Amino acid sequence: MKIASGWERLRAWFLLPAWIWMAVLFAAPFAIVVVYSLLTRGAYGGLGLPWTLENYQRLLDPLYLGVVVRSFGMAGATTVICLLLGFPLALFISRAGGRKSIYLQLVILPFWTSFLVRLYAWLFLLRDTGLINTALQHLGLIHDPLPLLYNDGAVLLGLVYGYLPFMVLPVYATLERLDPALVEAAADLGAKPWPTLLHVILPLSAPGIRAGSVLVFIPALGAYLTPDLLGGGRTVLIGNLVQNQFTTARDWPFGAAISVGLMALVGVLVLLMLRSEREGLV
Amino acid sequence: MNRMHRGAANLGRSRLLGGRSRLKAGCGQNCPPHTCRRTFLMGVAGLAGCARGRPRLNVYNWSNYVAPDTIANFESEFGVRVRYATYESNEEMLAKVLSGNSGWDVVFPTHNRIQPMRQYGLLARLDHGRLPNLPNLEPRFQTPPWDPRLEYCVPYMWGATGIAYNQSAAPTPAAWADLWNARFKGRLTMLDDPEEVLGACLLKLRLSYNSTDDTSLRRAEREAIAQKPLLRAYLNAEFRDQMVAGDILVAHSWATTAQQAIDAAPQLAFAYPAEGFPLYGDNAVVLRESGRADLAHAFINYLLRAPVAAAIVQTSRTATANGAAQALLPEAQRRNTTLFPSAETLARGQWIGTMPSATQRLRDRMWTEIKSA
Amino acid sequence: MKRWLGFYAAAVYLFLHLPLAILAVFSFNSSRFTVWQGFSLRWYRAIFHDQQLGEGAWNSVIIALTATIISTAAGTLCAYGLWKRGSKLLSGSLYLSLVTPEIVMGISLLALFQWSFRWLHWRLGLHTVILAHVAFSIAYVVIVIAARLRTFSPALEEAALDLGATEWQAFRYVTLPALLPGIVAAALLALTVSFDDYVITSMVAGVDSETLPMVIYAMARRGASPVINAISALIVVFFGALVLISERVQKA
Repeated sequence: MKIASGWERLRAWFLLPAWIWMAVLFAAPFAIVVVYSLLTRGAYGGLGLPWTLENYQRLLDPLYLGVVVRSFGMAGATTVICLLLGFPLALFISRAGGRKSIYLQLVILPFWTSFLVRLYAWLFLLRDTGLINTALQHLGLIHDPLPLLYNDGAVLLGLVYGYLPFMVLPVYATLERLDPALVEAAADLGAKPWPTLLHVILPLSAPGIRAGSVLVFIPALGAYLTPDLLGGGRTVLIGNLVQNQFTTARDWPFGAAISVGLMALVGVLVLLMLRSEREGLV
Repeated sequence: MNRMHRGAANLGRSRLLGGRSRLKAGCGQNCPPHTCRRTFLMGVAGLAGCARGRPRLNVYNWSNYVAPDTIANFESEFGVRVRYATYESNEEMLAKVLSGNSGWDVVFPTHNRIQPMRQYGLLARLDHGRLPNLPNLEPRFQTPPWDPRLEYCVPYMWGATGIAYNQSAAPTPAAWADLWNARFKGRLTMLDDPEEVLGACLLKLRLSYNSTDDTSLRRAEREAIAQKPLLRAYLNAEFRDQMVAGDILVAHSWATTAQQAIDAAPQLAFAYPAEGFPLYGDNAVVLRESGRADLAHAFINYLLRAPVAAAIVQTSRTATANGAAQALLPEAQRRNTTLFPSAETLARGQWIGTMPSATQRLRDRMWTEIKSA
Repeated sequence: MKRWLGFYAAAVYLFLHLPLAILAVFSFNSSRFTVWQGFSLRWYRAIFHDQQLGEGAWNSVIIALTATIISTAAGTLCAYGLWKRGSKLLSGSLYLSLVTPEIVMGISLLALFQWSFRWLHWRLGLHTVILAHVAFSIAYVVIVIAARLRTFSPALEEAALDLGATEWQAFRYVTLPALLPGIVAAALLALTVSFDDYVITSMVAGVDSETLPMVIYAMARRGASPVINAISALIVVFFGALVLISERVQKA
């Protein structure tokens, strides 16, 4: 769809930094990763010839496909929970009037400290002799400590904790723009709060929700620290698998192949998502 | 120390960018042009000043391998500035160093990486003339199996893997086989390291830690999968806190981590398993890319001094390869069997070998299978 | 509804800040381990003796500020340009940069820098870290601003044009002010992502460009020393104070 030439010129200038970014900081490194995936691992790590497709063939093994499926499941669950938890919070902040900014900063504040360190704090909270179990036992609610750590639930908790702001911020950005007159109109027409939420606010905040979901789901797919620490290394997700290849396994080409495969898979999913709606995400 | 591989890799300041950042940070909205220019120039001048000064040495080491004042004392005695950074795994360090222009002068690879690094041409030949403190090393470290003439490396710290346990655990663990005891279910952890876990399984089966054939490794894998339901988790140093708190009874552990836990909780102890155990040694090497061989040698020589090495042992709770330093330690520490086991215990130990490529791939696949089980 | 929302928000904030509270409490613990053994300020004292920490913090701040400014500017312009007329190639690249696992991005950027440095005779340093941070944060900025633009009507700009403004003026005086809250949100996101990044930074950092996460990770992985708790507590207090002060300044 063409637009007037004055806009075209402006657009061309505006997109220039992004094109430079793409060429230098994305396309070139991506090409390198693809090249890596076609090589063979060197004797002690690093790379070597010959060129081969073997790394991609290895990917088709049911073992690795199982890892992919589990990772998608975990990332999906994380996204849904982040949405359920984050949307009301974003709504609250967008309606907070003068204090909006402070509430927003309060969401971000914990993230200025190291993620690893906060995960360690969760370890303290969740373990058998940790705060939660001790408190519950003192209150007489339980006898033996609950196994709160080193399972999928703990991993999910950690992931949600780590990615919540990525949902809250985009949703807030959209909700903030919401015209209060629309909500008032709904009220004037006799709608109660809940239906207003479902039929007026939610649809209007769809772009923010989509943005937030992408910003949570996709990085959650590649997470490795949280499953490691809170999951006790008991399961392998894609993030752990890739991490492993570049460290202990010293198999960079296989790691690169997994990454390219992952990017291709998500790329296809996103394409399908875009096809089914008129507007894209960007 | 060889394996702490969760962090990916670790390894001057562009004047122009330094100046530009100052510019952005220093100028607000109403900044007139000439003030901005002045700030920029000041920034550049400041950084130029920083660039001159004392000679520099860049050292890349495992974390927790020096005492708080080791570096500072070296700096003041020799009038140099040391850039000291740390890493968590050999792979981290190698990823940076493999390029050949990482900027580091002295690094500390584990012994089974020395040979590959030599093959890649990464190491500089050591000049023993500039290392007069070499005789301080224990006799067995003066001719270590991986570099009998110490042409490329100087042993620094060494250690072993074994079993850390709470003395209230019954039966008292003394062999790898005890880690499969169902009585420890849910209160047992293994190291999160494929080499170590499969190695422990191999030793339990009375096979060599360095086995490379398929059959042996497959048997080891089956053992690991059989053990998994008993495990609480696969943890490296993270088990330490929980062991001190009492959550965990028995843990697959490096001797130095166990020692740190024992320092905090006397009811804990460490056992060198009966079937045998792996040994590793971390060595100081000078990178060939380094243009500061003199300073690098001076630093390594400094580390070989008995008082310096003794001070490091006190803080890091690791076993030093420096015999003279061991003599300086207080009686209790010298007799510490966790860090310095008796000769007969040591005889059961096996130096970790370098793994060929095909075995590495098989082990890695098995690790994924074990974790997915 | 508003009251329920308030209670709910308080609960979520508790969830978000509970680990911080734990950290703060244990920063005063006299023992190294997470078993309370008495009150002590020794870890705070230890911070001031640690030169690495200071340098790491300084580097982190510089890198985060610079990278955020660059990526927010480039990202905003990009989101706006794509809003005018999309580009499959650019959008696709932005998505893919989000999907790339951090370690892969780190390794590929490291390889890129090492290759290009052969010809340019550069070393790894602050500049490479900043470039890397821009590389991964642009996509975040674009997505947040684009979501905001979805709710913006082009009619306003058209009206400005009708009144005689140029396209640039229409953007500058009509759209940009309306986008400002979105830009601030995006910048905050980029700043946070940059300040806290460990994996990519550690791969492309040079000898002189250690950042705070790198220092902290190194300390934590090997021995969860409470010095880290002390630093984290200080960081929170510092930024919390910063936030409060900026609020006052804005209101004044």
